[in-house]
Amino acid sequence: MTIKNITGNEAIALGALRAGVKVVTGYPGTPSSEVIGSLLRQGELEGTRVEWSTNEKVALEVAAGVAWAGHRALCTMKMSGLNVAYDSLISIAYSGCEGALVVYVADDPGVSAGMPEQDTRGFALMSDMPMLEPASVAEAYAMTKYAFELSEAIKSPVFIRSVTNVALSYAAVDVEERTMPPIREPRLPRDINKYTKAGAAICMNQHRELIARLEQAEQHIRARGWNRLHLADKNGGLGIVAVGVAASFLEEGFDLVAPYGFNRQEVSILRPAATVPFPGEEVRALLNHCRTVLVLEELEPHLEKGVYVEALRSGAQVRIVGKLDNTFSRIGNYNAGHVAKGLIKALDLKAPADLLAGRNAEQYAAARPITTCAGCPHRGTFMAINAAFRKLRLKKEEVIVTGDIGCTILGMNPPFQTVSTEVAMGASIGLAHGFAYSDVKTPVIATIGDSTFFHAGIPGLINAVYHQAPLTLIIMDNGWTAMTGMQVNPGTATEFQQPGRRRLDLVHLIPGLGVNQFFLIDPFRLEESTETIRRALTLPGVKVILSRRECNIQAARRGVRHGRITTVPEKCNLCKLCITITGCPAISLGKESIVIDQAQCNGCNLCGQVCNHEAIKWEAVV
Amino acid sequence: MADLKYDIYLVGVGGQGVLTIGELITGEAIRRGIPANFYPTKGMAQRGGFVKAQLRLGRGEVGPDIPEQGADLVISMERSESLKAVRYVKPGGSFIIYDHVWAPTAVMLGKAPYPTLEQVGDEIEKAGASVYYIDPKNLPHYNGQLVPDNIFMLGVTMGQTTLKNILDSGDMMKAIETRWKRSAERNLFAFSAGLTAGVGCSCPPVARERGQGDK
Repeated sequence: MTIKNITGNEAIALGALRAGVKVVTGYPGTPSSEVIGSLLRQGELEGTRVEWSTNEKVALEVAAGVAWAGHRALCTMKMSGLNVAYDSLISIAYSGCEGALVVYVADDPGVSAGMPEQDTRGFALMSDMPMLEPASVAEAYAMTKYAFELSEAIKSPVFIRSVTNVALSYAAVDVEERTMPPIREPRLPRDINKYTKAGAAICMNQHRELIARLEQAEQHIRARGWNRLHLADKNGGLGIVAVGVAASFLEEGFDLVAPYGFNRQEVSILRPAATVPFPGEEVRALLNHCRTVLVLEELEPHLEKGVYVEALRSGAQVRIVGKLDNTFSRIGNYNAGHVAKGLIKALDLKAPADLLAGRNAEQYAAARPITTCAGCPHRGTFMAINAAFRKLRLKKEEVIVTGDIGCTILGMNPPFQTVSTEVAMGASIGLAHGFAYSDVKTPVIATIGDSTFFHAGIPGLINAVYHQAPLTLIIMDNGWTAMTGMQVNPGTATEFQQPGRRRLDLVHLIPGLGVNQFFLIDPFRLEESTETIRRALTLPGVKVILSRRECNIQAARRGVRHGRITTVPEKCNLCKLCITITGCPAISLGKESIVIDQAQCNGCNLCGQVCNHEAIKWEAVV
Repeated sequence: MADLKYDIYLVGVGGQGVLTIGELITGEAIRRGIPANFYPTKGMAQRGGFVKAQLRLGRGEVGPDIPEQGADLVISMERSESLKAVRYVKPGGSFIIYDHVWAPTAVMLGKAPYPTLEQVGDEIEKAGASVYYIDPKNLPHYNGQLVPDNIFMLGVTMGQTTLKNILDSGDMMKAIETRWKRSAERNLFAFSAGLTAGVGCSCPPVARERGQGDK
């Protein structure tokens, strides 16, 4: 055992290695990416394969194949990714598995990364799959090891669900050596009653067995002592049910209300490992012992609703404090203040009203909209789209440009304000197709990044080509899955891929999808890009423009510079055009001229191409 | 050390090395056997975006987020971002500001407001915290170059705030040496300068006088 300072995500990775995982798959998504990220940084792992798959659905299918062959597999994703994978997941859950299949999903209560604040425990309810909810980094490690054991014991896939603050927190954890994946002969499933869905009898039998496996999971979790129940000596007092990260705030919450007559000794506490399977036996014990029950869980009141049902079934006369009595909101994440608030309400403590309310000063803080980095190729694409509109005498407001997930969505912010929708991976193309059907008089444009296009954009493009929807798709190919922290994708240059991977070049792929109006542009060459986009917008049918330049963060790490930008102060009239059009963070306003921050500037020269006073000079670097 | 509970809230802007301060403090705490949970939040931007981190020392089991009015110490590396931490400072806690102004484009173009130092100082004072104010003009040079301001501020924090009761400056210098083998001297200089720098410019009235000169 070694004490290591690791994140919740690394804890998941190390727990899986300890459990002898044979295959790890996933698709990047904040806050889940660092499970695979940390594994890939370890280099070649003997006996274990790790891959970034093209999307979460594919990743899950790969992992399921491994588990069906009898091995141990882990699949990782953010909550939005589970939406993508769910179609396959529910069928896989119906079939169960032979080895172990652990699905790691990270939710984002409080929304630190963008995207819906969905509570994926709802998916566990729908697929009757156990979903373990670690409260801390250390528990993430322990529960991951257990998840493999549980999955293999009940022969069914098991979720581990983390949340942002656990996934990204660092804490000291006692970590064991990895266990090599057990050597097992691969099983090839021939049981069509278990592994196909053809027919009512097959599906309903599988449904029955699925429910039975969830009940088995409930027993297994209880037998292993994961549902921690402490009953106070005296009955008739307060009982607390707290699950996941909400439970980690208990002790601190107790401290907050200690000065106001709170007595910890009189409180009964249930900390279940999961909301699904519902810890019925423990909840009934708590209901029999207590007169008031405080339920602490982030987002949806899934656990709380179960407590109400058990109270009704057992005829317990209890008052339940949680979300359904409006004590807590279904929105946002918890801290110790929520525990204190619940205790004050449940025990009618006389605490000062401002105990939990800090001073609202952030209302005076300057807004800091996120923008593209200095030297970002996407800047050039947005500038060219906007310039093409001007050439066509179109106002930005008159044109619909659908956006997609990833850095390319930054086109929604100033100074570009080019893009105006964001839905889900690949959705820009289908949405644009819909606008093309809607009697829109102006050209319809979809924008998407390379990884997002590989992930879920291809079916949308095939549909547009098939139906000849008049739209222009601009694929902004920077060679990396950038927003989530620079992961590789099928289009990343071969030299940066894991050994043995083959790059798929979009230049060859797109014509293969039936696209016959295909253009390649360099986003750093503003005039040419603008002209190509302008021309494409006047053509009928489906047009695809591939705007290609490597992400500057990655290029800069290798020392790539495209030139050196200097200012000619005597020519600069401070018209600010370079700032208002590019929004480049490397440019600031000086007293007599604009100033270039050489530490950030990569010499892309987009600013030089908009300056009409020759005040910005570009020169080659050797 | 058993009863020690100490929470630190860090704010700043991407590119300032805010998280490095948190990592160094966390590393030292763990080395001393103090339980620690360090939760950095980077947001989406590489540079120029809001960065915060929450560091919780001394509790065996602790949730990652500091409650409102819960932080014993706030370290802010940017004037406007300081305001986002006011909600979390404990009445009677310490609030240390490096008064760097990182103006968003709209502010630079004169199209959006930016808080004055006086305004920030007022808010912190109303929250009941002690202000420790550092003017970036006081950042020293080493071999003709400005020293890294984050390491300088770590030094100021260790010199001025109650953190010095928990961690040892000498140990922190060893940690800095280990982390930056090649540029150890420069970073150690920054830290040592910070250790002694804060004295004499660390109260709200000083901050308010300087607040007139909005950069």
